[in-house]
Amino acid sequence: MAEAISKSAVVRWARLAIVAIALFELISPWVITTSVPTEAGWREATAFVRSNFEPGDRIAATPQWISPLVRAELGDLLTLRTASEDDLPGASRLWEVSTRGSSSSAAKPAVEAQFGGIQVRRWPLSTDELVFDFVEYVADAEVTWVDGEHSHPCAWRDAPPAGGGLGRGPMAPPGRFVCDRRKPWLWVGATVMADLDLLPRRCVWQHPAGTDPVRTRFEQVPLGDTLVVEGALDYNNDRREGRSPVLLRVFIDGHLAGELRHRDRTGWTRVEVDTSRFSGSTREVWFETTTPDPAARTFCWSASARNHRGQR
Amino acid sequence: MSPRRLTRSEWWVGASLFIGYVMILVWTSSDLAMSRDESFYAQAAEYYGRWLAKLFSDPSFALTQASIDDAWRYNWEHPAWMKLMFAWSWLAHETLGLFSSASLAIRFPGMVTAGLLLWLIFAWGTVVLGARGALFASLAFATMPRVFYHAHLAAFDVAIAFLVTLTAYTYWRSLTDRRWAPLVGLAFGLALATKHNSWMLPAIFAIHYAWVRAQDARHARSLRPSMWWLPAMLGLGPIVFFATWPWVWFDSWNRIGAYVRFHLQHVHYTYEYFGVSYFEPPLPVSVPFVMTLFTVPITVVALAIIGLASRRRELAPNWRPGPDGSQDTRVEVLWLGCLLAPLVAIALPSTPIFGGTKHWITAYPFLALWSGRGLISLIGNTGNLANALPGLRRVVFFCLCLAPGVTQAAHSHPFGLSHYGPVAGGTPGAADLGMNRQFWGFTTGSLASWLTERLPQGGSVWTGDTTWGAWKMMQADGLLPDNIVPARSMAQADLILVHHEAHFREVDYQAWVSSGSPQPVHVLTYDGVPIISVYENP
Repeated sequence: MAEAISKSAVVRWARLAIVAIALFELISPWVITTSVPTEAGWREATAFVRSNFEPGDRIAATPQWISPLVRAELGDLLTLRTASEDDLPGASRLWEVSTRGSSSSAAKPAVEAQFGGIQVRRWPLSTDELVFDFVEYVADAEVTWVDGEHSHPCAWRDAPPAGGGLGRGPMAPPGRFVCDRRKPWLWVGATVMADLDLLPRRCVWQHPAGTDPVRTRFEQVPLGDTLVVEGALDYNNDRREGRSPVLLRVFIDGHLAGELRHRDRTGWTRVEVDTSRFSGSTREVWFETTTPDPAARTFCWSASARNHRGQR
Repeated sequence: MSPRRLTRSEWWVGASLFIGYVMILVWTSSDLAMSRDESFYAQAAEYYGRWLAKLFSDPSFALTQASIDDAWRYNWEHPAWMKLMFAWSWLAHETLGLFSSASLAIRFPGMVTAGLLLWLIFAWGTVVLGARGALFASLAFATMPRVFYHAHLAAFDVAIAFLVTLTAYTYWRSLTDRRWAPLVGLAFGLALATKHNSWMLPAIFAIHYAWVRAQDARHARSLRPSMWWLPAMLGLGPIVFFATWPWVWFDSWNRIGAYVRFHLQHVHYTYEYFGVSYFEPPLPVSVPFVMTLFTVPITVVALAIIGLASRRRELAPNWRPGPDGSQDTRVEVLWLGCLLAPLVAIALPSTPIFGGTKHWITAYPFLALWSGRGLISLIGNTGNLANALPGLRRVVFFCLCLAPGVTQAAHSHPFGLSHYGPVAGGTPGAADLGMNRQFWGFTTGSLASWLTERLPQGGSVWTGDTTWGAWKMMQADGLLPDNIVPARSMAQADLILVHHEAHFREVDYQAWVSSGSPQPVHVLTYDGVPIISVYENP
């Protein structure tokens, strides 16, 4: 008798639990779909950013997956560099467009507004002063490929972008230095690469050709107190182990100033070179990539001359 | 003791489920562009169909190795049964014009297997649970959003779920009636000839049979269960597999060996799970279980857990004898094995990364049956009214339990693979969690009208994850005009499609460089979550 009563109570509670679960399942999709930002919300939020946008501002999207929506609305205010991942050198203010209560910073914003499920925030920034961005000026550089005793100049070509497709690596940009037509990977130019975390990196593709260097030389570069050098392999190759390390060496006025050694699975790597003794002057700077075995060494680097300031 | 026979009205209910589901699938099929894999099977259907036509017109030539190799070399990595069905259906469409489109013709056999599976779940459930639990189980399966998506397709996943369930059913019947044994062999053969999920069936049945024998010995039952299923499976199964696949009629051992190796050493499909893109195994053990919680209506999962709990004594490892005799327990242990085996197989660290929920979809008919068991343990059935709710309340409860699945399946269409249930926070919640967004590139179908409007004079499109075969099928179906063509080169295309999956971000960045801008001209969304970005080359 007692067991029957107990069983009956369990059944009653189980029925109630199922009713509660079913109601939760019926109501929550309605809550989810009604919380999706409306087109009007997007229009108002992006109009607000657009009307207050100033040169030097940066725009970020959070959560990351709304980035395509933000870029669709505000992409004309972005460049390939500002749409890519970096530590915001030279930026004076950061706009954040977010949904679902997400935010990249706990700091109190200077501006905050809400538009139909979309939050817009703005923070002032105090990032490094950008003195020279090597990636953006790579077209002005001189590129050579050393092959044993011989040094071959790599010619600048205006050609259609090349590549594209899953697992194919970064797209060859419309303007690039072509070093050897027999080696379609042996070119130098500014592209956007997916790093090990699949984040976009605006960088100079400079696939090493072997132990002899591929060299990109910039003349008359204004320097600040620091040279920030970063680089990695494309994610397709960085996630695999067992291949040769890549060495990126930086020379200033012909003297080795710093080097970045990249090994598989280390992702986007950064070194800082102290250039305070050159600060305010213009110098010749070149970047050399080498590797013992060039197979699948899809290396891409970025560098910028900066003056240090406090970070946000 | 043999199970009871279905009544005439129960047969009609089963047939209605079959017909009704197939009609819904046919009605909603045109919303879904062909998926990547379907496009390969559609191509195979055309090759095989032409060979079938040749078989009738010139059989002596059709049966030569040259002719067979010519037709059957394509898509040799999958056995032939369902592709033969697609081929017959395509031939019927070509000659008799039975369907409104070629894609529907090729998909129709898959839809029929989905309808038959509902019928089978209902029939098996009825003899074990009673009609009420069986009806719930059948409808619960039909309205699982991912099942509803896959049920539309010219693919093997729902078909193998049907044939695995059919083989299990015939095996169970054969234990008490050896006349069913040939049907076990036939069903297993068709399962072998459909997909490799079938390979695990003999092991499941062997374990189950050993348990049945142990139970009988413990209770000193003199009537031993029939074992004829085993020679039938081992004998008839391979014969059916071989007979339905002309590709293996020549150079048989090498070709069968290549097929087996292809799947044991399968390439890994990159899969995003909680923010990590897994390129290589092992996937976390939790994947099939968490994805089931995230994509199957949780009410159904909860009812299945209640169903299992209600039979915990009978299913406990010591397998104590139940007061209701051996039949129910026998079938429930079998259902439990068929539920767990596919989930565990995918969870094993050594298993290649196959990707989506479809790879353990064979577990879901049994999950649905267990949910039927759970339902009747709460509302009672005609044979046990002790805990039964009064009539109207019972109907309301039944409908309430079914409603989440119905609403989710309806809402998921035509983005079935992007849909996540409320436990994940819906599709936006799953995006927050970093779960797989989609695969197969079929969502391009939802862009067809936008593309047509954007390129009124025609143009070229870099199609991203959508195969050219799927694109051609959209054109053949009238979804896209013939003058919007797929482009070989991203840079030379007018428009670039990027299907949003984590590991496709590389393609997104390629599109930035190609178009010179990170700004897409259009973003297709589902519940506010980006599905496809479209870029325009200058």
